[in-house]
Amino acid sequence: MSPDESPAVPTPADADRPEDAALPSNPATDKPVKIVLIYQSLLGIYGDQGNAKVLRKRLEWRGIPAEVVLVEPGEPVPSDGSVYLLGGGEDNAQTTAVRLLKADGGLFEGLAGGAVLFAVCAGYQICGKTFTIGENDAVREGLGLLDVTTVRGPERAVGEILTRWTKPDGTTSLISGFENHGGWTTLGPEATPLARVESGIGNAGDGTEGAVQGKVIGTYPHGPVLARNPELADHVLSLALDVELAPLPQVQDEHDGLRRERADFVRRHR
Amino acid sequence: MTLVTDSELSRRAAPADLASTERVRLRAATWIGDVAAWASRRLGRGSGASIRGQVMTKLAPDAFGQLVRGRRIASVTGTNGKTTTTHLLAAAVREALGGDARRLVTNADGANLHYGIASALSTAPRADIAVLETDERVVKDLIAKGRPEVLVLLNFSRDQLDRNHEIKFLGRSWREALEAAGEDGPVVVANSDDPLVTWAAQKAPKVVWVDTASTWSADAALCPNCGGMLDRTERSAEHPTGAWDCPDCELTEPQASYAVIGDQIRLPDGRLVDPQLKVPGKFNIANAACALGAAAEWGIDADTALTGFRTVSAPAGRFSTATIEGATVRLVLSKNPAGWSESLPLLVSDPVVLAIDSVAADGKDVSWLWDVEFEQLAGRHVICTGPRAYDLAVRLSYAEVDHEIILDLGQALHRVADGPQPVDLIATYTPFQKLLKMGGLR
Repeated sequence: MSPDESPAVPTPADADRPEDAALPSNPATDKPVKIVLIYQSLLGIYGDQGNAKVLRKRLEWRGIPAEVVLVEPGEPVPSDGSVYLLGGGEDNAQTTAVRLLKADGGLFEGLAGGAVLFAVCAGYQICGKTFTIGENDAVREGLGLLDVTTVRGPERAVGEILTRWTKPDGTTSLISGFENHGGWTTLGPEATPLARVESGIGNAGDGTEGAVQGKVIGTYPHGPVLARNPELADHVLSLALDVELAPLPQVQDEHDGLRRERADFVRRHR
Repeated sequence: MTLVTDSELSRRAAPADLASTERVRLRAATWIGDVAAWASRRLGRGSGASIRGQVMTKLAPDAFGQLVRGRRIASVTGTNGKTTTTHLLAAAVREALGGDARRLVTNADGANLHYGIASALSTAPRADIAVLETDERVVKDLIAKGRPEVLVLLNFSRDQLDRNHEIKFLGRSWREALEAAGEDGPVVVANSDDPLVTWAAQKAPKVVWVDTASTWSADAALCPNCGGMLDRTERSAEHPTGAWDCPDCELTEPQASYAVIGDQIRLPDGRLVDPQLKVPGKFNIANAACALGAAAEWGIDADTALTGFRTVSAPAGRFSTATIEGATVRLVLSKNPAGWSESLPLLVSDPVVLAIDSVAADGKDVSWLWDVEFEQLAGRHVICTGPRAYDLAVRLSYAEVDHEIILDLGQALHRVADGPQPVDLIATYTPFQKLLKMGGLR
């Protein structure tokens, strides 16, 4: 458990569920849970591919078969993914990714079928309605999956970030990561912030961080953020599989150690 | 005796003759810088090169510009391999100069910013040949002020993204500096495997292309010229990442004069040479191929250059062996995911020690740990050390690699002192410098 957490027992299982629903799986089929990592060569410069590795292992350690499908430009995006992942990248890569994803359509089909999209930094920005690129702030249309718009901010947000996330059960937990973005993001009425900023810039220095709309989650921190925040990883998996997941003992001590060390670092340096 | 094949290196240059006031000012700055460096060494704070340079830059703000003027300069830059390539090229020049080796000055300690270069040059006012490791951000100034004759462009990859937000930015600055220099610009020795290097080098009056058979292409998806998606041919032994081409504009992988083929280097005349370097790793064969291309521009034949290369074993402590806390440790420095990807296959010991820090010189964001295939260490035991050991430990857990955390460097080495020796260690910049000091190597 993270050092700063409220309840002693996290993620209580839903009492109404049949017993076996708390453990596996990908109901209906025996097929492995498909985690689709989109355009690593375009949106992969900040290590966010680690989010795919974390999700996969956290399923496998629970006995749920999982696979990571890496899709590169020119290859079709499968429409039967359970989780789609977008990561950080540079301006030109953002424009290319939007163009290719719109032409392909697989991501949109997958989301219509109930999949989760977890998008980080540049990937988060392209999920919005518009974003800007380059020194001349050229406006580009996004994927329109989140009611957010991004423009170049007054300063670049670079550094450790600490936010407080309210989990589905109402308790809160810290999210820790490293933000590195020039774009500042404003939320429209359809989107709600993922978390409140405790330290760092977040969306636009307005105290909010990230955006949630249905099963689409956008957020700024790298780390990768799911490696720094296993509860958020499990939340993504719960959303995708529509089951509550019991806490996972594997790696918990190290996760706690890392979270404690990073939280201390931020508090020492602010 | 001199082994230079023609008049290339025998032509002597005269380091800039300064106006007398300038000379006095620079001499005073150099003297005070020397005192500061001496004090720094006495206090055990490193070689003193940085402090000397800082003092000089303060007292004689154009020390860099004055000291590079009038020398015959070969400069080496790129994300990875600068220090080793500089050492290889300097060794080739030294070999060719024979008894005249005092004509050569080089910043062997890896201090490659303005003041590091100024510091090195100030120690040898009469040396007319300079082989200079040059930080990517300083290349532009060096081209403008020092008019290097040869410029080696090794590679570009993600590195310290907390301050270099856009990889392309540096490539553009090189390209613009070369364009501004025009016909006075240097002969560029450039890695043709790297699209951004290729694009930057295009503006040089002459380019010697080197096919380095590099394995890292993760930062080269888009055409630096037009933004199109680059095509790549099938991977092969000669082209581990495939040959690249832009379908939307004319930028394409150039035909190379030098090529790395397995552990050998193909020369422009078609001859294959086995470099038999004292420094390990495929990436150092690529560095040697680039250094051969640069040496040839100064009329140094391949055999002479290779003889020189073989005198290089631990450039600025890299790949050196030290005894620390009772353990015999082989020290490897790696600063970014491309560097780590190249270095991990060099590890042969079990256990191995991996040291991670994240102060400014290392890059503050260690997310890159997830861009490195640590899975290849499965079956071995890893000691995670340094201030960011926890990040590494989590990464290794998800790679299912057995490991333990010992935050303190000294204790981590003490822990492996009783096992089989030597122990292989990779460190980011800051712990690497600490280890050199602990091992008495600087």
